[in-house]
Amino acid sequence: MSSSDHHIKVDDDGDISDDEKKKLLEDGVFTTTATPKLTYNWVDITKEFTTLAKTLNLGELLLDEHFGLYEAMSAVEMMDPKMDAGMMCNRSDKPTLTFARAVESGILKFEGLDLSEQIGVIDHVLSCLVSWIEGNSLAQTVFANLYLHKPFYIEERPLKAFCITAYKMVEIVKHFIDQATVFEEEDYQPMQYGYRLIPDVSEQRTIGMLREVEEDLSRRLRQRPALPNAESIGALLSRVKFVRLLYSVLGVLGRQDSEPEVRKELRPDSELHKALNNCSEQLTIMRNTISLGIPPDSPKLGFEPLANQRLLPPTFPRYAKIKSREEAFVYYDDLIQRLKVVCKIYSHASFHTALDFFMEFSRQKPCLLSRSILQVLYIPQPSSLLTNTRVVEILREAAKSFICPPALSSKTLLASNPQAKEFVDMFLLHCGRPFVQLIQLCGHNRARQRERLAHLLEDFSNLQDEAEKVDAYLHNLTSKSEGKRSHLACFGTWILYHTLRIMIMYLLSGFELQLYSIHEYHYIYWYLYEFLYGWLVSSLSRADSLLMEQESYLEKENSRGKGKKNKVRRKKGCRPYAKDITLSQVYQNLCGGYYKATLAFQRTGKISFPKSEFDCEKVRYEHRFLPFSNLHTPPPMQYSEFSDMTKSMETQICVADREAPDHSRLFMAACKNFHQARTLLEIMPSPDQEVNTLLLVAKTNFVVLKLLAGGHKQDSNTPPIFDFSHHCHFPIIKLT
Amino acid sequence: MSLTEELTTSPVESLNVSCENEEVQVTETPEKIQLRSWLNKNLRIEMSDGRILVGAFLCTDRDSNIILSSCAEFLNSTSEEARILGLVMIPGRHIVSIHVDNSYETM
Repeated sequence: MSSSDHHIKVDDDGDISDDEKKKLLEDGVFTTTATPKLTYNWVDITKEFTTLAKTLNLGELLLDEHFGLYEAMSAVEMMDPKMDAGMMCNRSDKPTLTFARAVESGILKFEGLDLSEQIGVIDHVLSCLVSWIEGNSLAQTVFANLYLHKPFYIEERPLKAFCITAYKMVEIVKHFIDQATVFEEEDYQPMQYGYRLIPDVSEQRTIGMLREVEEDLSRRLRQRPALPNAESIGALLSRVKFVRLLYSVLGVLGRQDSEPEVRKELRPDSELHKALNNCSEQLTIMRNTISLGIPPDSPKLGFEPLANQRLLPPTFPRYAKIKSREEAFVYYDDLIQRLKVVCKIYSHASFHTALDFFMEFSRQKPCLLSRSILQVLYIPQPSSLLTNTRVVEILREAAKSFICPPALSSKTLLASNPQAKEFVDMFLLHCGRPFVQLIQLCGHNRARQRERLAHLLEDFSNLQDEAEKVDAYLHNLTSKSEGKRSHLACFGTWILYHTLRIMIMYLLSGFELQLYSIHEYHYIYWYLYEFLYGWLVSSLSRADSLLMEQESYLEKENSRGKGKKNKVRRKKGCRPYAKDITLSQVYQNLCGGYYKATLAFQRTGKISFPKSEFDCEKVRYEHRFLPFSNLHTPPPMQYSEFSDMTKSMETQICVADREAPDHSRLFMAACKNFHQARTLLEIMPSPDQEVNTLLLVAKTNFVVLKLLAGGHKQDSNTPPIFDFSHHCHFPIIKLT
Repeated sequence: MSLTEELTTSPVESLNVSCENEEVQVTETPEKIQLRSWLNKNLRIEMSDGRILVGAFLCTDRDSNIILSSCAEFLNSTSEEARILGLVMIPGRHIVSIHVDNSYETM
């Protein structure tokens, strides 16, 4: 049974034809493995093998000498639903359908599609589009629809216009995502598998085509007496309209001719917002008329999951899960809401408010498309970023508004000193990349943000060094020449403020991503409580007083001069960072509360520890704070400091008059912290959502800890529950 | 391949296995020698869900968990479309049958 005499016919795709393959297979020749001329002579050894294997000792491996456990780790485990992609598929033995074959057999039609078919196909392609944006491959979603293989052959005008627009939608969505590059492999598959996205059909032409179809459909809808299928016509019309509106909205957002602040179309009264609202209206109709389309399992949809199987890499999952139509429409609805939020970026001209906006937006876990659009709107040209003067100017303004370094206020001598100017400009230029990265980081998914934060700390550590040097140089200069306003630690404080925020984000993200065990909470919260928030408060206070100083200095200057009024004057005595400082103190107190509470839970045996032989708290501590270890300012805190400070705190609180330690006092101390947080929250003017949530957390924890301090459930060893459902970083403590 | 050939042709009862830089004398049982003779040969394993895996045998243990390298997956015994999986571990409890390719020996 030698195969050497076989001449293998190869068809024009470069593949072996199906018939040939079948023949070869019958001969025992597998054509699809690397060398097609292999012959096998299979001998059954099932019984023998298992009996022999049983003679091995427990845990003993019989293995090839070139093969080790290290390699074994990368093996795919078969029949494991998480690893084995081929396991779950519902296999069919039907040959893969192509468009031509489907038309031949009458399943698909070029023309004469009835309304239900068109509605069904459109809905299905829209679901595929969502499935793609949410991380599946184009080849298994949008391009698996056979109608999209030959959009120009379709005679039915609504469907043809839609299919062409589907390509254009893929193109524009891809453009946003590729440009922003805030995705990872788990978010998105950028491959388009050689499909041309019809660049020769222009945006105007696409929209024009859809408009024509719309007019035609509305004419049919207006016919009197009303057509019996009026409802279906309406349903189709709403879909065409929706697609046109969404496509043109994306087109407008994609035009990057200017900075977001000056783009009128982002403002809430623009055409863009009207279109978005109209999109929502069409979606409501669409969601109510899903049933008018042919069902998702109908072959008439032209969806052939295996259509592009050969284009995919071999270890690819065989099938992508396509979203249901209902889910897809919910996605579009949410997308429109998110796009409305994204547009608000125009009102955040200053870097600090923009950064807050990005962080807040990211907290809502938006989809990749909206994340990308926000990035693209704010940072229009990623290629020229590093030298971009715009970034430097934005940062100059940011530093100025944060702490107002004398070097940046034009009236001082510093501005006319070329050496000083060069140092400051150089410093700001160096700031560009890390700060842009900070903005970009906010566009990534939440899990990836954590690792990026850790990397960014290194860059900020370098910036800190430079900032301190620039500060020292400028301070020297000012103390010699002017002596009016010192330049001590201006840039340094500004960078420190951001470094601290990154450190805090890093630690808090561990709670959100559920990385910490309960028995680790105490030192995480300790670090936040004793250091990070404390330092944040002091850096803010410093910025605060420097700003006030500058203000009074300016006032004096002004009264001496022409008496020209400054444009915006803050009310006297109103500290510019009062709100931020109070909020940081709230966080600090909350962390203090958790720190003391978790410690007390541990001491009273309510939180269990891993068995000591498998555990070393010091190692875990060092691992958790590893990214901080290379920083100079702020200095990293070692484990010894944690244990010393904890011990002395405990002695101070719990041990009175050489008696045995009383841990209820520790609960009481935690309770005080929550009380303090609550008091601070209650005096905050104009509370927002965050403040209200924190208030609820602080109040509840206050009550719980008061109960604990009073000896409630003293004898129970059931561990407390930390409920993160209200706030992802600050849990509500629950007793069961 | 040379090792296995050597093993199958000569009745060596013991061989040197290096283990953490330490030469240990291991006496091989005839069962192990037989198992070892299949190493690096192509196995065709049918799994409990009907799929067929073909790949080079690298490793096994007492429960017949098997590691195959350069493995190809076929959806059923008549399927012609292979999917290359690379390195796979097949749990022993999911193995229905094992075939070894002895085409070299018969040739």
